[in-house]
Amino acid sequence: MAVCVAVIAKENYPLYIRSVPSQSELKFHYTVHTSLDVVEEKISTAGKAMAEQRELYLGLLYPTEDYKVYGYVTNSKVKFVIVVDSSNTSLRDNEIRSMFRKLHNSFTDVMCNPFYNPGDPIQSRAFDSMVSAMMVQSS
Amino acid sequence: MAQCAQSVQEFIQDSFVPMVSVLCSEDAERVTRKNNLSFPELLRPFCRLTSEGHLRDPNNQVVVVKGLRISVTGVNTRSPNSGEVRKLLSQAVSGCQPPEGLPANVITAGDYDLNISDRSVKASVPWYSDWKEMLTQLSSSKYYTATTPWFEAYRENFLQSMPASDHEFLNHYLACMLVVSSREAVPTEQFLKLSQEQHRIQHSGEYTYPKWFIPNTLKYYVLLHDISDGDEQRADSVYEDMKQRYGTQGCYLLKINSRTGAAGPDEQMPDPWSQYLQKTNIHSPYEEGVLNNVENNISSEVDGLDLSDVVSEIHPLKLEQSADPGFPGNPSKAVNSADTARTQKQGSVTPGAAPTAHGACLTLNDHDRIRQFIQEFTFRGLLPHIEKNIRQLNDQLVSRKGLSRSLFSATKKWFGGGKVPEKSIAELKNTAGLLYPPEAPELQIRKMADLCFLVQHYELAYSCYHTAKKDFLSDQAMLYAAGSLEMAAVSAFLQSGAPRPYPAHYMETAIQTYRDVCKNMVLAERCALLSAEVLKSQAKYSDAATLLIKMTSEDSDLRSALLLEQAAHCFINMRSPMVRKFAFHMILSGHRYSKAGQKRHALRCYCQAMQVYKGKGWTLAEDHINFTIGRQSFTLRQPENAVAAFRHILINDSKQTATQQSAFLREYLYVYKSLSQPSNEGSLPQLPLPCVHSAQTRVFFGHEPRLAEGEKQAATHVWLDQEFDQEQAQLWAELEEQVVAVANRGSVHISFQPTQYCLSSHTENLRYPFAVVEEPMFVEVVFRNPLKVPLVLSDLSLLWKFTTKDFSKPQGGTTGETITNEKEAAAGKATALNDIISTEVIPEFTVGLEETKVARLKLLPHKTGELHVLGIVYNLGTREEDNSASEASQLMFVRGRQDLEIQGPRLNVTKEEKTSVRHGPDRRLDPIITPPMPLLEVFFINFPTGLLCGEIRKAWVEFVNVSAVPLAGLRVASTHPEFFTFGSATADLTPVTPTAAEHCSAYKTMVTPPSDAAVTLVSPAAFGITGDNRPTVVEIPLTGGVLGPGEALQIPLWLRGPDREGVHEISFLFYYEGLEKNAKLGHRVLRHKAVICASRSLSVRATACRSNTLPGRGKRDEREEERSGSMLVFVDVENINTSEAGVREFHIVQVSSSSRQWRLHKCINPAGDKDSKLASRERGKLCFRATRCRTQEATSDALEKYTFADLNLGNEQIVSSTTPCADFFFRRGPPSEPRKGGVITVGGLLRRQSLTPANSTDDSMTSIVRKCSEVELDIIVLWKAYVVEDNKQLILEGQLHVALQTIGKEACSLSQKEEAQEMVLLKFKPDLPPPASRPSLEQLSHLIKTCLHYPESYDHPFPQKSLCMVPVTLTLSNCSLAQVDVIIDLRHKTTSPESLEVHGSFTWLGQTQYKLQLRPQEVHGLSLKACFFQAGVYNLGTPRVFAKLAQSGTMCETSQQSAMPALIIINSV
Repeated sequence: MAVCVAVIAKENYPLYIRSVPSQSELKFHYTVHTSLDVVEEKISTAGKAMAEQRELYLGLLYPTEDYKVYGYVTNSKVKFVIVVDSSNTSLRDNEIRSMFRKLHNSFTDVMCNPFYNPGDPIQSRAFDSMVSAMMVQSS
Repeated sequence: MAQCAQSVQEFIQDSFVPMVSVLCSEDAERVTRKNNLSFPELLRPFCRLTSEGHLRDPNNQVVVVKGLRISVTGVNTRSPNSGEVRKLLSQAVSGCQPPEGLPANVITAGDYDLNISDRSVKASVPWYSDWKEMLTQLSSSKYYTATTPWFEAYRENFLQSMPASDHEFLNHYLACMLVVSSREAVPTEQFLKLSQEQHRIQHSGEYTYPKWFIPNTLKYYVLLHDISDGDEQRADSVYEDMKQRYGTQGCYLLKINSRTGAAGPDEQMPDPWSQYLQKTNIHSPYEEGVLNNVENNISSEVDGLDLSDVVSEIHPLKLEQSADPGFPGNPSKAVNSADTARTQKQGSVTPGAAPTAHGACLTLNDHDRIRQFIQEFTFRGLLPHIEKNIRQLNDQLVSRKGLSRSLFSATKKWFGGGKVPEKSIAELKNTAGLLYPPEAPELQIRKMADLCFLVQHYELAYSCYHTAKKDFLSDQAMLYAAGSLEMAAVSAFLQSGAPRPYPAHYMETAIQTYRDVCKNMVLAERCALLSAEVLKSQAKYSDAATLLIKMTSEDSDLRSALLLEQAAHCFINMRSPMVRKFAFHMILSGHRYSKAGQKRHALRCYCQAMQVYKGKGWTLAEDHINFTIGRQSFTLRQPENAVAAFRHILINDSKQTATQQSAFLREYLYVYKSLSQPSNEGSLPQLPLPCVHSAQTRVFFGHEPRLAEGEKQAATHVWLDQEFDQEQAQLWAELEEQVVAVANRGSVHISFQPTQYCLSSHTENLRYPFAVVEEPMFVEVVFRNPLKVPLVLSDLSLLWKFTTKDFSKPQGGTTGETITNEKEAAAGKATALNDIISTEVIPEFTVGLEETKVARLKLLPHKTGELHVLGIVYNLGTREEDNSASEASQLMFVRGRQDLEIQGPRLNVTKEEKTSVRHGPDRRLDPIITPPMPLLEVFFINFPTGLLCGEIRKAWVEFVNVSAVPLAGLRVASTHPEFFTFGSATADLTPVTPTAAEHCSAYKTMVTPPSDAAVTLVSPAAFGITGDNRPTVVEIPLTGGVLGPGEALQIPLWLRGPDREGVHEISFLFYYEGLEKNAKLGHRVLRHKAVICASRSLSVRATACRSNTLPGRGKRDEREEERSGSMLVFVDVENINTSEAGVREFHIVQVSSSSRQWRLHKCINPAGDKDSKLASRERGKLCFRATRCRTQEATSDALEKYTFADLNLGNEQIVSSTTPCADFFFRRGPPSEPRKGGVITVGGLLRRQSLTPANSTDDSMTSIVRKCSEVELDIIVLWKAYVVEDNKQLILEGQLHVALQTIGKEACSLSQKEEAQEMVLLKFKPDLPPPASRPSLEQLSHLIKTCLHYPESYDHPFPQKSLCMVPVTLTLSNCSLAQVDVIIDLRHKTTSPESLEVHGSFTWLGQTQYKLQLRPQEVHGLSLKACFFQAGVYNLGTPRVFAKLAQSGTMCETSQQSAMPALIIINSV
């Protein structure tokens, strides 16, 4: 489904980025990094209105020619970004949501690991396999 | 955001200005040429009107025209073709670089501070600007908005180069100036000629260009008069004539060139033309060409617009030929087209041409005159003309207004009038849709709208555009419609009064139509530029950005780059700035710039984007940007920046793939090479790779260790392979201190520092280390390769600086000049200065991927002085995987250096040091080269690695002085002095060669049959023992006290296996010094560490018992001995050797004793000459009798002497009192008792303090009691072990020591004190003393020795006499040295039931209790009588003896040990 999945720390540095190997990794890095602007914008506009009830799922951040970028922010301001191929029209908003939820759950597991030092790049194998499961489905 | 210098309104107004053409006579042109200007150029700076103009609209409303600008161009100024436009634009952009040295513009966006200006190029490069600098810039600079002058230049040039098109009239010529010089013979004729010319151009239909606004173009006649040259009268008269002919409003006399002759050079004239005329390019084409070549080498990606080609293409000569057929090629062409040709020329001007001064003949008055002229022309000529035309058009339109729109179109259909666009005609259909004939009413409306727009009557213009738009749309004339839409939107925006909302959708439609329907990117671009500017002014940045981004396309990189940059600026200027989008679009823009050949701009863009990406963890992006910056910088000849950028990629722990990294590395090397080449003779550049861990650098002084030569095993000493061990270092330092103390007769100098041969981060490096001349030093440098590509370092050597100093002279010696090998190393001749210091060069050193590796670099100083190791110098290269490109890759290396700078440890002593971060010096790389010192090498021969516990082995040690200086004062200190001995002074040091001595016993033996003990008296001093402590330092005797240069000394060495099994590390420290005192280095040391594996051999346990035999039955002397006391010594020997192979059996060969008071006297148990054999796990018991030495009461000197008594069990007596047996005896570990006390010193001390005088009696009593049971006897068990090794039987020998201290207490050769020590808790509270201060019951029980003397069997005729009385003597012997009160109680106490059972009862007769006092060591016999009633066996040992010390006040009597059953047999006869 996804062509790129990224987890970005509160301070906006990447904790985890994985993309399908066929495409240029650099491009996705740029895309994800740029999307943070939109995430921040969305947080700042939504955050004032209803800080508590804010939905974690941010929806489509912006479409580019080839990709759609979706965002998700946890309460601790960790951002998840999923990039999806634009040609994949069958993908519903609900599915994206569930992908994010899965990602969030897995991320929570990673954080619960007492040997994981918060702020370090994620190297969990479980997380990795979960992400690749998300990506494998697309191909 | 790109902030323009002008406001949006101004910008749009200036984009659309009335166009005026110029036709110039040749003479007139010549006049202006004097100023290096053509006529239009002459006017150009003055084309903006400063005063307001007025005109009336059709409704007679006055319209104010403010700040009008007109554009004056030569009539045949052709709009350049697209290629030229491109070139022009790219020149304009590249020519406009951000100015250097302006204050930095910092935009704070969120948590980012962006520095957007020229300095950002430097400041944003992360390695350049540290955070602090950033902050100071931030605080010092005001809020600036970024300007992008190159964009404005581009826009201006773009708009000016817009070709006139049919669908709009804005850039069609409104008027034509006809210029004639006053010098002309007949100016009026010339005017006529020009007028005809103009008419011909406009109406003949020969030329499609230029376009004219309205058929009857305004002609304005200008008489140009050269004041310096012409007749003013004549000019005036001609002007009068002209006025007559053309009217005052239609002509003008312009007088210029009032300056006569050459102007004084000091006179400063403003040159208003310079900014209007084409600027010459910043870089010359030549340079650009060179750069391109370079760039083609380095990258295939960046090609873009090759400017050199463009330049050659538009060579001036070519231009003449390539005249567009659409342009008027009239006689005056050469003159008039000079304008264009000139601009081209200037574009391609060679750097050698001096810049031409413009307006050299013009005074300020002339400037005013020109200004006046323009004003006159505009207000008197142009504006009325426009006004007239507007009226005319309006009238035409109004006249048709009656007809309804529908009818209008209906008539069109019905009559198919000329005004109807010929839709059917295919050839007239262009991509834009339709072509109207010039007179079509729709075009008239548009024309009127354009006129209104030009004179700033935007309201009318808007309504006209709106109407025209509707018409065009209904006709499906898309190009026209789009043009109208565009202008309608613009005029709506410009309306000042009642602001209509800006119809952005008009613009969008227009752009879309231009682009998609008409495929006219130029128009679309113009439209987008206008719209974006308008949107920006309304703070609709996001819309503007989208618009701009949409306009980027593949066809023009330059445009895309500029627009993307503008879009990026829009993002950052949004209310919530989108920094990342800014950065991203800057990168896109930079990419396009580089494709367009705009390298400087590209670099700038990347650098600005870098600010956002750097240090945020987006390494992939960061690397990419750095890489691009590196490349761009390189092509722009900023190799320093390039190198820095590449360096950054390489140093960072990059997550790139290996191939990527190797590409980076290669590029870096290439850039570096080209950078370092010009500065070859200068200092070497610093290389970033591989990383050098300076702090881990180690320095070693001395020779490389030699490997073992055959049997000779060199001392391990110190070498870089050994890891630093704090404990070991401490141990060595202590040893050295001990030996130094001994060498200096007990005192250690206060500034004593242990010798350090290997300096590392663990050692204290505050002082300058000492190195000895002609002895090498090694510097170990730690390299780490962070890359996934192997690095090859070649010609690796050290850089140093050396100051020669002669230390032999007083006062520190003379200081020579400082020499360094930096230059030689740079030139690759690192060995050039080898006569001073030999520098070793490592030809090749490979650091594998992500490997940490050490290189050892050697220096050999040949002179004394001060040496400073500065760094390392090497060629950095990489190895290609494929060998095909080996030729090229071999060359791919650069020479550079890295400095070794070691920061000392942080200081933390004073308060200041604690509060601030300060670091001490670290001088490990700055050794002082001292004069020659002796150098010792030690070899061990036959040195074993494994020994049995207690085994004695003879080995040899060889001392070699390898220096050129004699050596003296050789000493050795060791952690295990009991392990080895060089033999005592008494031992004859017969120089038996090691080979000859192989099979001999280590002991000195004598053939003697087993007999009584042979006794020898030995003073410990003979074995080098003084005092109580063991000698840790041994002096090694040298012949003559000196070991000359090159001399060797071989002496035997005996080793004894450690008592405890296991692996033992034994450290030897050899100390030696030179003959003459060296101020710098007093002594030197050599370390050796031997590892010995000890395996179990025998376990010996010994007990001493007081013998109960009575004296008096032996001979006289024996009696004497008996009287002084004798003991039984039981020795339990067990073979505990566990090694299944090897050791067969042990033989106890001899048991010797050594004591000051006791000696073994006789062997009791193994009688005869058979030695006791012990196979594996066997145990044997030996019994000996020991007696006091006779010499005990002799001289005090003898008291210090030890008596050695040998009891050999075989035929051979080993003389235990000689080397090595006695040596090892004296070097044996101290008896366990004192050491035990040592462990609990704390408690012991406290106990001593708590001792009050009242207790002193108690204490003395204790000592007395203790003394009586004390025995100081050391048993030496000498054994032989038969070992089979490699099918050879070997006989090993050894000795074990057991120290007997107390009677009745078992002592063991393997002391079990280990466990005891482990259990001891460190107590800080004093123990309660009583148990120790009071003699224990057990101790007291040894005070008195009792012995019953009686006949063994006694025959008594019971039938005759029922009572049998037997005399019994009870001998009491006082063992102590004090008076003892004894109570003997004979009353039967049948406490123990068994005694009742076994023995029948008998009674003692007579006194039942005796009280006696025994003097010290007195033996007292007490006669008793026992009475038996019947025959049987009785135990006589019933008397109970209580003893107490006479002095002690309290009755602390104790029952003495109940004697062993003393049985008596009473026989009845």
